[in-house]
Amino acid sequence: MSGTVQMEWHQTPGNQVDSHYCPSCLENMPSAEAKLKKNRCANCFDCPCCMHTLSTRATNIPAPLPDDPSKTTMKKAYYLACGFCRWTSRDVGMADKSVASGGWQEPDNPHTQRINKLIEYYQQLAQREKLERDRKKLARRRPYMPLAFSQHTIHVVEKYGLGTRLQRQRPGAPITSLAGLSLKEGEDQKEINIEPAQALDEVEPLPEDCYTRPINLPEVTSLRQRLLQPDFQPAGASQLHPKHKHLLIKRSLRCRKCEHNLSKPEFNPTSIKFKIQLVAVSYIPEVRIMSIPNLRFQKECQVLLTLTNPVENITHVTLVGCEEGDPEDINSTAKVMVPTKELVLAGKDAAADYDELAEPQDFQDDPDVVAFRKSNKIGFFIKVVPQREEDGDVTVSFKIRHDFRNLAAPIRPSEEGDAPTEAIWLTHHVELSLGPIIA
Amino acid sequence: MPLFEGLGSGGEKTAVVIDLGAAYTKCGFAGETGPRFIIPSEIQKPGQQQSIKVVQYNINTEELYSNLKEFIHMLYFRHLLVNPRDRRVVIIESILCPSHFRETLTKVFFKQFEVPSVLFAPSHLMAIMSLGINSGLVMDCGYTETLVLPVYECIPILPAWEALPLGGKAIHKELDGLLVEQCTVDSDSSTGQSLPTYIHIDPLMLFVLSRCPVRTCFISDLQRGLKIQEAKFNLGGTAERPTPPPDVDYPLDGEKILHIKGPIRDSVMEMLFEQDNEEKSVASLVLDALVKCPIDTRKALSENLVIIGGTAMLPGFLHRLLAEIRLLVEKPKYRDALATKSFRLHSPPAKPNCTAWLGGAIFGALQDILGSRSVSRDYYNQTGRIPDWCCLSSPPPESVYDAGKTPPPLMKRAFSTEK
Repeated sequence: MSGTVQMEWHQTPGNQVDSHYCPSCLENMPSAEAKLKKNRCANCFDCPCCMHTLSTRATNIPAPLPDDPSKTTMKKAYYLACGFCRWTSRDVGMADKSVASGGWQEPDNPHTQRINKLIEYYQQLAQREKLERDRKKLARRRPYMPLAFSQHTIHVVEKYGLGTRLQRQRPGAPITSLAGLSLKEGEDQKEINIEPAQALDEVEPLPEDCYTRPINLPEVTSLRQRLLQPDFQPAGASQLHPKHKHLLIKRSLRCRKCEHNLSKPEFNPTSIKFKIQLVAVSYIPEVRIMSIPNLRFQKECQVLLTLTNPVENITHVTLVGCEEGDPEDINSTAKVMVPTKELVLAGKDAAADYDELAEPQDFQDDPDVVAFRKSNKIGFFIKVVPQREEDGDVTVSFKIRHDFRNLAAPIRPSEEGDAPTEAIWLTHHVELSLGPIIA
Repeated sequence: MPLFEGLGSGGEKTAVVIDLGAAYTKCGFAGETGPRFIIPSEIQKPGQQQSIKVVQYNINTEELYSNLKEFIHMLYFRHLLVNPRDRRVVIIESILCPSHFRETLTKVFFKQFEVPSVLFAPSHLMAIMSLGINSGLVMDCGYTETLVLPVYECIPILPAWEALPLGGKAIHKELDGLLVEQCTVDSDSSTGQSLPTYIHIDPLMLFVLSRCPVRTCFISDLQRGLKIQEAKFNLGGTAERPTPPPDVDYPLDGEKILHIKGPIRDSVMEMLFEQDNEEKSVASLVLDALVKCPIDTRKALSENLVIIGGTAMLPGFLHRLLAEIRLLVEKPKYRDALATKSFRLHSPPAKPNCTAWLGGAIFGALQDILGSRSVSRDYYNQTGRIPDWCCLSSPPPESVYDAGKTPPPLMKRAFSTEK
């Protein structure tokens, strides 16, 4: 909210990725590393059966001494285990590792090489298309060249551009005599050829015992378990390998119009505070309902409301009833009379609770309007006349108009000396639901 | 590690590739070997138990916009973990996707997330790209329907498209019917209860039931399948059904056990191959599409069949499909029309449900081409719409977007889309 004062009511502010962290070890990961690791934590694993976090367990196994093979000593071996569903890394045949972390590898996709080759091949085709496009762009300015021109002349023409008289005729005509997509001399002659995929005549049928064998359901993976491993999607539970845990992010919000940061969380994953937190609640006076008498149909009642000032300077508030045909006033079911005089709210003083000797500021409140005053809060009365006898809550609405001083703006050196920050008057629509009518 | 990752040539970040299917969405980055995530195409509203499907064609624009907004927000900030503003987007789509849905999706991407550009890539064409071939007859067995589209020399032969609403959705419906009719549930308190009583209590039960077919059902081979069909339709006749596989006790959420009868396990999938009144089945789609193609192209197409889509991953599907095609081609309807009798099947370097995504990821790795063929945000802001193959220059009439009205019939025109 630097230059403009605008409340972002209707359009959600732009979200941006702020920082990555692992939800189980709460380790912050810089975005470059996150990109490299495909947004997965290096240390933590997810159970492929129940998706909880795996823990590393250690056992002692006998192992022969390197010096003397006949003697054995106890060595530590580590394996992964799930505390929730009792799955262990030994169930899928993963060997125990001798280091606590860093030893576990995820299996590679067997098609990686082929896919990379395909990408290279298409990159080459893309290059050619780009070359042809660029050539066409240049060539478009040149007219159609008769086939009588020798290859040498064409190359010369291409190299030196618009040269002979012929080339200035008929721009825009298609160039059909230019050579095809052959690479120019001097360019890299290495071509990447791709073997087109081979189609097969036969497909493997289902095994015969499929029709007679009873299913061992725990051995068959569920759809959810399969889809968590998109590269493999195994049907058998003995092929379910654990995956590294996926990271979470903290988001920062940005105003769409002025690109100013509205909300920026702390970098540290364990902290829930914000570096920047520009929320409307900390600038707009808060209206709360304190007490409601028995509401009766078409009888005037007095409702006690409180107004709290969230900022540190004095705020002036005026309340105005809604006019006829106000587009924001859709729900009110009662007439309301708000105080006509301007209400003054004292600034929020953090030390007020502890400072008993502070003299209360004299605001000269009208006792008919202001019920009480306590540091930055006042209680005031509004008169409500319910207009509808139906079931449901009595709803009233009015407008609150207050002055706002933007203290977050940078202090501009002014020639007249210290000029106080200008006050901007803001108006908001307030709707209160007061509960049902007591018959 | 892919070779063209991150700030590689040109300094542009890798594009985001999204395949928004009716049942599942595959999302990830260009240049990688597989999607990062395969998640259900649903959003969860707070307070509601039932999740809302994102891909719905008959709801009004506002609701669709807000559903898509929430879903794509989740894609970016929970799964992909990147800023939408930095990366181009490749969306794998079905050519039968209604223009209205496309327009709304584009609006969400450009207005809400401010992505730099968007490219809609047809799924059948992308499947070809994942194989390094130029021609092929691609069949996408998805959730709502099975759609066949031949591609010759990288150009889809649009007039030859064929589709049937036989997919995951139809299988679930059939299975639900059979389970409700024939199976019982045991729980702590009672045994042998019929299913409807539980579905009435707990709507989430249906969600669990829809996962059953994956683990317990399969598709029999041709001989066995034909015998099962014979037994089903031969009411009162002497056709004998082959011995059914054993029953399965399927646990539902820990407390209840559903007893799935054996015969259901091998017969529910037969609906894909039972020929209806017009003699159409999933296998006949392939032959019908071939008949519509120009004669010179047919051999190249029949020897390059590509089957993609999640429903094609059912055990026994491919083997049965090939056998059915070979059986049908001998029928009088096709025997004289089609000279080619050899059919060959490709195995792409990815699972069938990710093949189209992989093609999009390969295409998305070609940064210059992606840039020149995408619709940029500037273009969208100027013209306010995204061109569709059926309405390139003029927008479709507004009146068809009211919920409840049937969408207009799709125009079939020979049209060359780009690679």
